[in-house]
Amino acid sequence: MRAKSLFLGDIRFQIRYGFYFLYLFLSVLYITVLYLLPITWREPGAILMIFSDPAAMGLYFMGAIVLFEKSERVLNSIAVSPVRPLEYVISKLGSVGLISTAAAVAIGMSGQVISNPFQFAAAVFLCSCLFSAAGLIIACKITTLNQFIIATIPAELLINLPAVAWLFGYRKSWLLLHPGVCMMKLCSSGSFSAPALLLLICWTTAFTCYAVSTVSKMLKSVGGINL
Amino acid sequence: MKPLFRSFSMFILQIARDRMLYAVCISPVLAGLFFRFGIPYIETLLCSTFQETSILKEYYLLFDLFLCTLTPFLFCFSASMVVLTEHDENMTRYLAVTPVGKKGYLISRFLFPAAISFIVSMLLLQVFSLTVWHASMMLIVCLLGSLLCVATSLLVVGLSRNRVEGMAVTKLSGMVLMGLIVPFFVISKVQYLFFFLPSFWLAKLSRDGNYFLLVPSAAASLIWIFLLYRRSEKKLA
Repeated sequence: MRAKSLFLGDIRFQIRYGFYFLYLFLSVLYITVLYLLPITWREPGAILMIFSDPAAMGLYFMGAIVLFEKSERVLNSIAVSPVRPLEYVISKLGSVGLISTAAAVAIGMSGQVISNPFQFAAAVFLCSCLFSAAGLIIACKITTLNQFIIATIPAELLINLPAVAWLFGYRKSWLLLHPGVCMMKLCSSGSFSAPALLLLICWTTAFTCYAVSTVSKMLKSVGGINL
Repeated sequence: MKPLFRSFSMFILQIARDRMLYAVCISPVLAGLFFRFGIPYIETLLCSTFQETSILKEYYLLFDLFLCTLTPFLFCFSASMVVLTEHDENMTRYLAVTPVGKKGYLISRFLFPAAISFIVSMLLLQVFSLTVWHASMMLIVCLLGSLLCVATSLLVVGLSRNRVEGMAVTKLSGMVLMGLIVPFFVISKVQYLFFFLPSFWLAKLSRDGNYFLLVPSAAASLIWIFLLYRRSEKKLA
């Protein structure tokens, strides 16, 4: 019940601050660009667009969301409420994942790159949760937006570079262990789908657990004292 | 003037503490090195692969334009992030009633960084440009590039109520720079659909070499700045 209320609250927050409008606009823009590309480039183009933006939106926005909650004393209220860190994290990851998946499915369907809709949606949702968890871990430890932007650069490079290298033909077998490559494998519906899904679930779970522990520490220290 | 410099030094200290200052200083140099040495190398590889005489060469000017807007964009972007943070924490209200004032606050946060970026852009373009620039054209384009980025930052500050909205608007504000590519890829009159973008006129001015285009280019930036400045000033009240 608490998790549901948090989740709905986060969705309302995201609607109010224009996330849905922004991704509606960006999805239309990406679809337009996709139609301008030659047909052979559409699948890698769509996967690259989805991976670098809707799926990664949590890493971009989480700093602003958490800092805003800190400045509005929302976290202070959450800290003294019965809400558990896991519920807080799940609500954030789920609500951001919802927009990511909706935008990705819209782009994927328009670009006609989806062959297995369930697999595609699951891959984008899990990858989005992973990016959001990484963003949440960083956001808990910073105090300004500029700090957040600088701190996300290594995370972005670690998550993006191997996956983009894979997409552009650097196909070493060890790269299949990388979560970004797993997402791309699932989106392109080739072989290795089941192990890729399993690996992506493992990566996302690991990042979520770490995010829960970081949020737990943050909630114990909001207001300047350690509870 | 002294309060403005003090306010500006506060801003510099803040972004230095956040390490954003180092990113703002290093990234344009890295981009310049990549554009100057990486792009011609990629061009050679592409030409030998596809058996063409030139592929990227006709877009070298576009790379120069991106280079000249990169420093002001990064500097003004970090300024808008600082302003959003200060606004959310009610700092701007206090600063507005000090000798700095609302106008001085916005000048110290946007105009001073843009002025420094203008000089840095000139130096970068001098060292790393891929095309030959006439001194007067370089001066005008760097100046207009800085104005364009002030407009972009005011867009972020003026249109957002807090830092969450600010990040959303920042994502959209990148589109303002996309006008740079229009004159290179849209040859027909359809390109004039983008007339409202200062970046479109900036690219057209440098591509056509027609100094008359300085008028719409400066006008577009100044109109944006005027409208968004009024909105941002109201927000600080």
